[in-house]
Amino acid sequence: MPQTTTSRRPYWRSSWWMPGFSLFLGLVILAAFWSGGEPGLGLGALGLFTAIAALFLLGGRSDTLRGLGGPGRDERWAMIDLRATALAGTVLVTYVIGAWLWEIAHGDDGEPYAQMGAIGGLAYLLAVAVLRGRA
Amino acid sequence: MRNEIRNLRTAGGLSQQALAEAMDVSRQTINSIEKERYTPSLPLAIALARYFGTTVEEMFHAANHN
Repeated sequence: MPQTTTSRRPYWRSSWWMPGFSLFLGLVILAAFWSGGEPGLGLGALGLFTAIAALFLLGGRSDTLRGLGGPGRDERWAMIDLRATALAGTVLVTYVIGAWLWEIAHGDDGEPYAQMGAIGGLAYLLAVAVLRGRA
Repeated sequence: MRNEIRNLRTAGGLSQQALAEAMDVSRQTINSIEKERYTPSLPLAIALARYFGTTVEEMFHAANHN
């Protein structure tokens, strides 16, 4: 058989990437809770994210964990991630619009849902404007 | 998309894992391509064709695209 397609892997395909990112996120949440006067909740969050980091690091050969965590992340996983992100975004936008409609139908000003919807809409339009020039 | 990957792989005595490592993708991705659940990108399709010493057209059988 001819040559293989060995190439240098990007940093985010390292097995340390997702565990490190999870720990970093846990520390950021700890700092936020701590500055808000709730260090106990922060330590709880850090414990949770440490467990997630350990799961990614010690997750063995699980396709899902390797795909989410980095080392097994190939083009198929990038597609799965893109579709999952789009689905999650659609659910979130639907919720925000629904909540905004509910708020204004009950005589409220619709905040913060109006703001969130506006940010989402503008971000989408900006993304389309930028990405259509690249694709 | 219908393809000849399983035939070529087994004819060469290769495991899915070995082919996956050669292509720098996961074994499940090779499995998904063989089962026609996932259509590979053009770069991966070309890499697979080169690996087996054939062409993309001979390896993948697309329906007519207008």
